[in-house]
Order: sequence, then C-alpha cells, then structure tokens
Amino acid sequence: MGQQHLARPVTVALVEDHQVVVDGVRSWFAGSGPSPSPVELVVQGPTIESVLGADADVLLLDLNLNGTMVIDRVAELCQGGQRVIVFSEHEEPEIVRAVLDAGASAFIGKGRATRDSCVETILEVAADRPSVTPPMAQAIATDERPHRPQLSDKERAALLFWFQSMSKASVAARMGIKERTVRQYIDRARVKYAAAGRPAPTKEKLLICAIQDGLIQPDEVGVYTSLAAKSPPGQS
Amino acid sequence: MTEEIEQVAQRYARFTALGAATIAAVWHLGYDLTVTITGWSTFRWPWLSVAAWVAYSAIFVVALLSLLRTSRGPARIRELALATLAVDVAVIVSLRPEELIGISDWAWGSVGWIAIMLVWGRPRWKTELIAFLAANAGIMLVAMVVTGTFDRVSISKYLVVIAGGVTMQLGYTWGCHILRARAEDAVVLARRLAADDALRESAQRIHTDRLRRYAAIRDVAEDLLHQLADGADPGDPRVRDDCTAGALRLRRLITEREDVPDELVSTLRERIEAAERRKVMVTAPPFGDYLPGLPDGVREDLLRAPIRALDGARSRARVTVSAMSTMVSVAVVADNDDLPISATPVQEPSGVVVTYQRQGGEVWVNSIWQGP
Repeated sequence: MGQQHLARPVTVALVEDHQVVVDGVRSWFAGSGPSPSPVELVVQGPTIESVLGADADVLLLDLNLNGTMVIDRVAELCQGGQRVIVFSEHEEPEIVRAVLDAGASAFIGKGRATRDSCVETILEVAADRPSVTPPMAQAIATDERPHRPQLSDKERAALLFWFQSMSKASVAARMGIKERTVRQYIDRARVKYAAAGRPAPTKEKLLICAIQDGLIQPDEVGVYTSLAAKSPPGQS
Repeated sequence: MTEEIEQVAQRYARFTALGAATIAAVWHLGYDLTVTITGWSTFRWPWLSVAAWVAYSAIFVVALLSLLRTSRGPARIRELALATLAVDVAVIVSLRPEELIGISDWAWGSVGWIAIMLVWGRPRWKTELIAFLAANAGIMLVAMVVTGTFDRVSISKYLVVIAGGVTMQLGYTWGCHILRARAEDAVVLARRLAADDALRESAQRIHTDRLRRYAAIRDVAEDLLHQLADGADPGDPRVRDDCTAGALRLRRLITEREDVPDELVSTLRERIEAAERRKVMVTAPPFGDYLPGLPDGVREDLLRAPIRALDGARSRARVTVSAMSTMVSVAVVADNDDLPISATPVQEPSGVVVTYQRQGGEVWVNSIWQGP
C-alpha cells in the first residue's frame, strides 16, 4: 500500500472552518522548487459532510468546527476505512487519546505544526506506517486508564522525552541509544496503542503494516495474528 | 471534612444522650422514689421494690458511665436489658395484686428510659428499643392476665401508659436521631457552600487574569494590525515573528481550561508572560487539568532549573509539563546560550532529578519527580 503512494501525490481532504488555516495548508502543499509536492489537497470544506465521498487518501480534520467539537464523529469516519489525521489546537492528552481510540491515525497540534512535520505525518499515515507526533507521544505515555497497552519503561521514556525535547536525536543522546532505536521504541508504542481498545479498520491496517515491516512480531500481541492472517481490502 | 462531621455527630450524640440520662434520673428520683416511699403500704414486699429501685439505679449508673465515656450505650446490653426487665417484674411482684397498674407501679413506665440509654448510638437502636418496649408491655399484659385485672379502668390505664411511654421514649430517641442527622447535613452543606465559594472565587480570579491577558494580547494585535495597515511588510521576518508570537499567546489563552489555579502552572504562566514581554516566542501545549499533589519542596525543585532556562531564552522557548498520578515532568527547550549545565543528572534533595542537554543551539532542561 505504501508503494502505490510513491507513484502519485498523496491526496488530502481538509475539514477546516477557518479560511486562513485553509490557505495556510494549501500553501504548505503547493510545494516549492522543481520537484512536485508529495501531497495534494483535493477537497476542502467547513464541515465533515462537505468532503464526504471525496476520494482522498487522508482526511485532515479540525476538531472544533464552528464552535462544536466533533470528537464523536471521528469513530464513524474511521469505521468507514478513512484515514483521519486530527489537526487541532486542543492538544490535551485526554482529547488526543479519545481521537486515537476512535481510530484516528495521527494528531497534529496546530500550535507547533510546521510544513515539514505535517507533510511527513501525512505521508506516514497514507502508507499505514506508525506516526507519532509530540502530542500523541504525551497522550500515549501518560495514559493511566485500565485498558491501556503495556508499554516498556524504555518505550514510555522515549515517548515522554520525544514530547519534551527538541528532537529524536536529543532523546537518543539522553537515553544513550541510537536514534533509530528511539524511533523503534516510539513506533512500537504506537502500534501497541493501536492494538488496544476498540478495533477500527484504520488500526488494523497499521498493525498489519507493522508486522510486515517487522516492527512487531505477530505473537507479541495476540490480536495481531488474526489480523495478519487476513487479506485487507485492496491489498494483493 | 469527615472529621468535622464526626465531631458534630459526637457532640450531638453526647448531649442528647445526657438529656435522656437526665430525664431518667429526674424520673427515677422524682417519681419512682417518691411513690415507693409514699406508697409503702400498697406493696406486699416493699423492700423488694426498694431493691428493684436500687438495681435500676445501678443499671442507670453503668449506662451513664458508658454514655459519658463514648457517647454510646454499653457494649453488651443484653444482660443489662434483661436485668432492667427483671426490675419491672420485681416491682409488679412486690405490689399487692389490686395495686397493679396503680400509682405505686413505677417500674413499667420508667424502664423505657434506661432502655434508651442502653441502645443509644447503636446501629440497630430502633429494633432493639422497640423490642424492649414490646417486652415491657408484654410483661405487664401477662401480669394483668395472671391477676385477672381486666376491668375497664385498668385496661384504659394500661393503654394510656403504654401509649404515653412509648410516645415519649421512642419520640425522644427518634427526635434526637433526626436532630443529629440534620446537624450532620448542615455541616456537609456548609462545607459545600464554602467549597463552592472558594471555587467561585478562584474561577473569578482566573477569569480576571484571563481578561487581563486578553487585553494585553489585544493591544499587541491592535498594534500589529495598525502596522500592517500603515504599510508594514507581511514578509518582513520581524513582523512575521510578532504575528506568530501573538497567535501563540492567543491560542494558549483559548486552550486554557483549568478552573482551579495550580501553583506550578501559575508560576510557569507567570514566567512565560515575562519571557514574552522580552519578545521571546514561547510555545506551550496545554498543561492539563490533573496535576497530582506534590510533597513539600518538590514544586520548587521541579521549576527552578526549567525556569532558569526560560528566563535566559534569547528568542524562543518551548515549555511542556507531563503528569501522571505519581509523576510530574517539567521541561524547557530554549535558545539559552548562557545557562550553566551539568553533564550528569542532578539529584535534588526532594527527589527531583534534573537533566541538561545542549543540541543545535538549544538547551533542553528537564526536571522529573517520581512519586512513591
């Protein structure tokens, strides 16, 4: 699935009720220089309904639309197989956890989003690879709910340091490990998180991809085995 | 608050119990003793009645001592209750049969007050008191059957004394119980009102503070808009930085949600504002609502190093707080070139561990407290 996106730009639908943000995102995706942008905004609107039915790889969703929080709409979008990236200033851990539980693939905090980090997250999500932004790292690391996934101490530390530091390289230096290992800890934590809680097609895709990439073994978490055995729709 | 309610409950239990004891004592001295002496000739065995009066007094003293010590009746009441009923029987037996239910038959109207003292403060006081009063009424009924006292006047007397005694004794106990329950409710209500007042006051303080900060941001935004209207170049990095800084402050204000001021968060906000006044661009994701209570000295140790990093930031800083039920982590990433750093983690006396790291022109200062 990841390879097919390399041939063409990843298509994005944007739900955002502030024109200034729409213009900003559009300018991010417009690309600069000779090489074409890897991301293309194909449709945008101020409500979820205004973009429903659009054939986009990823839906970028503002949580607060005309003064109404639409957290409870995330689950229905994800159940329909839509990859959703929440794009919001409401970075509180409980809100981030709520949308991840509902099946959102990622959460981008508006407060610190840059073009590069946003595009990187979209590409990872479109390829069903684990993507962990700083707000997600905090939300996953500080989860104390009874059904939370069991993270190792290093996975939790990597997530917390990633949220609070300046880069993954600094986390690696702090933990005395390679940056690649830091990424592995963070990604594994994300995959474990996807395996916990209620199932969603978006989470299944992430888990299958994680097993295929060898990020996690099928027998590490029971649920993975059955999911890996399935042939997902559209996958040869 | 629980302690206060307990205190109120105990105070009410103690003084209402002493009220019951006073009634029993006055009744026993004023009526029981008087009719025993003045009605000496109505007794077959007057000394048995006197012995019963003394036994009643002894049980009274035992119950009174328990009430004075614990505001509750004695721990083992069965024997004492049976002894009290025995007093009742003894007085009936000591009387001439025709004097049954007469004025000298003092015990069956009095023993209920002893029963009140015995069951005071017990969880099943209602059942136990009703059982005792029923036994008392039963004993008299049996005595009436045995002596054949079934004339209209005797039956009327029986009913009047039973109704009057039960009403007074059960009514007093019930009333005291209600009084105590209402007193406890009043304490709970008073505490709730005080808590609501405190919450309202703190919410008002937060609201006032937000209005003040909003006014400050509005002034900045107004100034920026004037500059743009007067021809300032939006592409100018200085103008863009000012716009970004204003947007960051506004966004932080919008996403603040806490209603109760947390000292750690308040201190951080204060220092963030100070940094912003120095034109430092500060990003700070929401600090969250649920910071755990911290032991003495931890907050100061958590804040000291990160605030030093923030205070010395040249142009940008990022402030984050992460918390769990037994962990709080405060971090600042800033372009602070002058901050002296330690290559190894610094262990503070409170248990807070502070780590420093420099990378790419920025310093990362992170203090973590792990609770037990």
